[in-house]
This record gives sequence, structure tokens and C-alpha cells, in this order.
Amino acid sequence: MDVALYDFVRGPFLRFALFVFFLGIAYRFFRVVFLGLPPDYARPKGNPYYMAVKKILIKPTMGWTFNEIFSRRAVNYVGGFLFHLGFIGLTFLVPAHALLWQEITGLPMPTMPNIISDILAYAALGSLVVLTVHRALNPVLKLLTGKDEYFANFLIAIVLFTGLLATRWAGSGYVWLLSLHMLLADLLIIYIPFSRLSHFIYYFLSVGFMGWNAGKRGVSF
Amino acid sequence: MFKNMESLYDLYKNKGYSRREFLRSIMLLSATLGFPPSMFPDVVKALESRPKPAVIWLEFQDCAGCTESFIKSTSILPADVLLDYISLEYHETLMAPSGFYAEESKKEAIEKHRGRYILVVEGSVSPKDRGVYCTIGGKSNAELLQEAAEGAGLIIAVGSCASWGGIPYAYPNPTGAVAVSKLLKGKEVVNIPGCPPIGDVIVSVIAGYTITGKPPELDSLGRPKAFYGQTIHDRCYRRPFYNAGRFAESFDDEKAKKGYCLYKLGCKGPMTRNACATIRWNGGLSFPIQSGHPCFGCSEPDFWDRGFVYTPLSVVEGGFGPKEALLSVTVGAALGAGAAYLNKKLRGGK
Ligand code: SF4
Repeated sequence: MDVALYDFVRGPFLRFALFVFFLGIAYRFFRVVFLGLPPDYARPKGNPYYMAVKKILIKPTMGWTFNEIFSRRAVNYVGGFLFHLGFIGLTFLVPAHALLWQEITGLPMPTMPNIISDILAYAALGSLVVLTVHRALNPVLKLLTGKDEYFANFLIAIVLFTGLLATRWAGSGYVWLLSLHMLLADLLIIYIPFSRLSHFIYYFLSVGFMGWNAGKRGVSF
Repeated sequence: MFKNMESLYDLYKNKGYSRREFLRSIMLLSATLGFPPSMFPDVVKALESRPKPAVIWLEFQDCAGCTESFIKSTSILPADVLLDYISLEYHETLMAPSGFYAEESKKEAIEKHRGRYILVVEGSVSPKDRGVYCTIGGKSNAELLQEAAEGAGLIIAVGSCASWGGIPYAYPNPTGAVAVSKLLKGKEVVNIPGCPPIGDVIVSVIAGYTITGKPPELDSLGRPKAFYGQTIHDRCYRRPFYNAGRFAESFDDEKAKKGYCLYKLGCKGPMTRNACATIRWNGGLSFPIQSGHPCFGCSEPDFWDRGFVYTPLSVVEGGFGPKEALLSVTVGAALGAGAAYLNKKLRGGK
């Protein structure tokens, strides 16, 4: 029974999820790109392309001033950093995941030992919980948060949690937990293109656009 | 009243084994079956007094590999005791009589041991086209199964073919092969899957029935929990390498020689429930992973049709490679560009 479910979630369903994922992401990305901007005949005052690349490259470090981090937005920065580090590390470098990426991309992928994936998983899960609670309590963030964000956070948390459970404490329920983990991961993969989770790609588009705009106007950011 | 009234202890005595040797075997048997130590005196008493079990062993769509595994099981009972103890009243490969006499002796055994005998079935059953693909003595296999199952005290499906359908059941299954339990609806069937299963497990389940008079505790797929409760991965001696992220990349590289984990070479240990990693094979000598080959999950349902013996477990079955990724990205990009074009057109280029 559990093995039949396992075969389904790692077989046809995962295949379907990956098709939806790649198709959906490409669809949204190229739709925005081709939609373009209204024509602007003003001559650029700076170098928009250079500024776009520069903004993408230095944006992640721009908030890292002592004051910024520890006095005003500590939870966001530290939590956000830990969560992204953990999530991205786990997604690509857990051996089982890495082999999947190897199959998809055709490129060899490095893998990491359990001890590191455990640390990353605890870090990601812990920071996700803290970030979510922070989001729910912070008066400003609360206004910016909708059902979708909570749902996405919940889905990611439960994918992380079941993955951790399966490798650490599953015992005889291992195959069930692994199947559940993969089923939820499949759902997450399908959900990404339809949600704000696709920011992993739009982030670059929007940040790049901000830089491009600044470059066009010849201002700094 | 019966000619088979000898107990296991009688057999040991008659063959010149000491009581100490008898007790050593019982200890091993109890441990294998997962009985608590407190049960030991009862187990000894049972095997001193109860007559040896009568077994009717039917072979249908099989290769006799399970039989081979069974008769080579010498970890628990010595070879000369094993075949005398488990009284094979009928077994086409092993018995002396043949033809008409063999069928007669089976009939006799069924009558003589009605309600008590153990029916072991090896191989899948093929009821399709009135069972013409497997007949013995002019009778179809399905008919023979029903006949023998009716008066059995315990029914054991031995091997992956009898438990799940196995290789005859694999695509395109020309003979319409099915598992034994499919044809014996309403009857409890103990599945001992594996291609072949571990002989010591077959022996233990049969001896366990003599001791308790009951089938062993089974999981949801009818497998004895004592032997199929854990995955190979749970008990694999290469597990520390898996945990440390050290994997053999090919069968004969340096890493393979160092005994690294075989996950990348397609090991199915993480989802295969069997006792290979603990009981091992050939008197506890080795098992596939120990000899350097990944487990391919022969005791799991439909292992043959899964067709991914050498691809890692986590890789998408049916394949999703760079080609598929590129295809979906191209389709997505084309659809996105098309939608953008339509949007623009509808808004008159604004
Ligand atoms: S060889 Fe197979 S069963 Fe053993 S640890 Fe590696 S994956 Fe698990």
C-alpha cells in the first residue's frame, strides 16, 4: 500500500508536477517580459543594463548594516537568511534531491552528509515558524499578508517537517512518511508557479528592473 | 494413530544430536521469531511434544527457486533434521513418487491431516481461460489450489510470485497470473515474499505454527511482521555511509571498494521490507548489498515492472531529463509570449 503510493508520488505525479512547474514558471516569466513597457522615448541618462546587473548583485547585501539588522529588522534578516540558506541547501544538496536534479539537468551535483542537512532543516523550520509568527503579529506585515502566504508557509513547513521526520524518527513508518513528504513536495512544486513562491525568479526580474530604471534616470539606488 | 507422530526432539535424538544442540536450535528459532525469552520453556515443551508439521507444497507458475532456498536453510535446523522434521507430504520437486501415485498420496495426506496441515504455495496461479496455462494431472492450477486450501490449517504463499504475482504477473502477463491470496478470498494467507525468500524465514514460520498453533502476526500486506517489519535500509551495515553522504559511483570504483552506500547505484533498500540485512543468506554469510550489489527490492510487489534496477530511488520513474525540462519551458515561453501578444492587442498596444 505505502509502496504503491510511494511509486505514484515519485513517478507519474512528480513527472506531472515538474511539467507544471517548468511550464508555469516559463509562462509567467515570458508573459511579463513580452508584455514589456509602454514606449519611453527619453534618452537614458545612465547605463540601465549595468545598473540592472549591479542591483541584482548587491541588493542582497544592501540591508546588512549593523543598525539595520540588529535594531530594526533583525527577525526579517536573520530569519530570512537562515530560512533561505536551509531551504535552498536542502532542495539541492540532500543526496536523494541532488540525484533528482542530476536527472533533470543532466549535470553532476554534489551531495551533503546527514548532519549538515539536519542542521539546515532545523534552521529552516525554526526560522520559518518565527517568521510566520512575526508576520502575524507585526502590524505592518500583517496588512501585507494574505491567505496565500500562510498557506505557502504551512506547505513548506510541513514538507520540511515530514522530510526531517522521515530521515530521523520514522521507524517502521518510514515509507509512509517518505511518501507523504514527496506527495506534499509534489503539491508544493505545482503550487510554486501559481503563487508568490515564484519570487525565486521574479525577484531577479523586479530587482533588475529597479536597477534598470535607476540607470535610465541616471540616479543611484 | 499417525505415522508422523515424531516431535522435533525425537528427531534430534534419533539422529544422534545432543539435547544441548536441540536447545541451541530452539533458542535460535525463538530469537528469529521474535519470541520473548520468557516464552522459551513453552517453546521447548511444544517442540518436545507436538508432532512434526505436515506440509503440502504446491508448485504452480514457479521456478523452484523458493524450494531451493528452503532446502538450503540450515541456520536453524541441521540439514538432515530439516527435511525430516518438516514432513513434506507432497512436493513435486522433492518427493519420490510421481504421476498417479503422487496425486494419490496428496489426496491421502489432505484427508489424514485435514484441518491441521500447512499448505505452502510456490508460484503464481493462472485462472485465465479456465486455467489451461498450468495444469497438473489433468486439473487446472486454480482448481488444485482450492482443493488443497479448503482443509488447510495454515496457508503460506512462498515467494514473490505466490505473494504478489511476481514474474508471471509482470507486463504483459500473458497467462493472467495472480497472487494466491486473490483466489482465496476470505482465507488468511501468510505471504513470505522474496525472489526467492530467505529459507530460514520459511522454516521459522512453519515451526512457529507448530509452536503456537496460530499464524504469525501479519502486516497489512499479509507478511509476518517479525521478518518484514523493517526495511533493508533500517538495518543495513552500510547505513553510516549513507548518513555521511558517501556513495559508490560505480560498481568497481574506489568508493565501492571502501564499502560506501549503494544508493546512487540504484539501491532499493530504503523501501524494501525484508530480513536480508539481519538474517542474511547462506547460513548468515552474506546478502546482496554485502556482496556489492544494490538491493533491487525483489520482495516488494511488482518489483519486476518497476524496471529501474540501476537508477537511484529518488529519480523520477518514467524519466524527466533535460529534454523534458526544455520542452516544458519552451511550451511555457511560447504560451507566455502568446498571452502577452494577445493582452497587448486587446489593449491596443498600450
Ligand atoms: S546500501 Fe542501500 S540499504 Fe544500505 S544504506 Fe545504502 S541505500 Fe540503504
